[in-house]
Amino acid sequence: MAEMEAKGGGGHKKGPGVKKSKKLSTRVDLTPMVDLGFLLITFFIFTTTMSQPTAMNLAMPKDTDVPDELNKVKESGALTIMMGKGDVVYYYFGSDPQTLQTTGYKDIRKIILDKKKSTPVDDYFITIKPSKDATYKNAVDILDEMAINDIKRYAMIDPSEDENKLIQLTEQAGGIK
Amino acid sequence: MGRAKIKRGSTNIDMTAMCDVAFLLLSYFILIAEFKPAEAVEVNPPSSVASKVAPQSDAFQVSINPEGQVFLQMSDEMKGDVIEELSTARNLNLSAEDKTLFKQSLFVGTPISQLTQFVRIKPENLHTIKLTGIPIDTANNELQAWINAAVNVYKGKKINWLIKGDNNSKYVAFREVINAFKKNEVFKYQLITNAEDVPTDSELARKPAKAAVAEE
Repeated sequence: MAEMEAKGGGGHKKGPGVKKSKKLSTRVDLTPMVDLGFLLITFFIFTTTMSQPTAMNLAMPKDTDVPDELNKVKESGALTIMMGKGDVVYYYFGSDPQTLQTTGYKDIRKIILDKKKSTPVDDYFITIKPSKDATYKNAVDILDEMAINDIKRYAMIDPSEDENKLIQLTEQAGGIK
Repeated sequence: MGRAKIKRGSTNIDMTAMCDVAFLLLSYFILIAEFKPAEAVEVNPPSSVASKVAPQSDAFQVSINPEGQVFLQMSDEMKGDVIEELSTARNLNLSAEDKTLFKQSLFVGTPISQLTQFVRIKPENLHTIKLTGIPIDTANNELQAWINAAVNVYKGKKINWLIKGDNNSKYVAFREVINAFKKNEVFKYQLITNAEDVPTDSELARKPAKAAVAEE
């Protein structure tokens, strides 16, 4: 294909004195084209496998009102994480929401891990409470932290009235919109 | 000693054949590549470290868009049975044509009452129409009805319940979806996310190493 000869290029008889042009080789160096071809192949192969969506497992408990079926959480091992407006995370240890502290999604991992180190495995329990202003991404991010930090016991529930008020007050005080 | 002089061959190799192969492979891969299945709605899922590939078969996928509207996609093999079941359960009186059209439709994006009109919208016109999504409020929770139909059809068999939420959709919408599932005694879901690398030096990154040590 690449060796196709230009036929009849010089067949036309020219008048005397007209210089006969030298016939150039039609051979083209195809190496760069091959390079390009394989580069494209590799590119397409890599990008197609990368875009596979993955699935994250989530199991929710059955709603129950029977007190006996409710899980009891030791106060010493409890960590409550609440997600508010504007990608802000609030957390408190134990059962007193008044001790609420503010942090962000980058720093929550350290808090989870520090608490994990100082708590017996069976006592550690994280309660995740996304407020009504939290986005779906926030919820997935926190659930992801549970996987990253290898947390065995956690639950996702709605914040109580008190907690909602506290979050609102903190948001107003901090001017978070 | 007289040594026969080896004639030095030209180092110029004819690249034509290689070029042919490269582009043949290229065109082959491009042609067999499956196009991304048409999305019900533009949804950008968040990323997570989950590495399991999302299942495609027996999938019942609920998508939540940034406005909190809910859309439903089902695997092709499920659609026929589910619409039959829903039609009987709700006395919809769907004609055979409606059902065939439903099987061809990509997703459900309207209340059940508008289903007959919805399935007649041509796929190429879908994005020009403002869809309302499946009602999910407490008064009229139709998602619950859809889930119920799927559960009844697939009695005993496993359905992959997928939830795909947008980065910017509100958690509240997600909770409503979860509640609709819970009402049907479905408690295990898979959240569709984009893959993300496990942070190095995290507990999860160390985990396989730990397990290997324990086995030894």
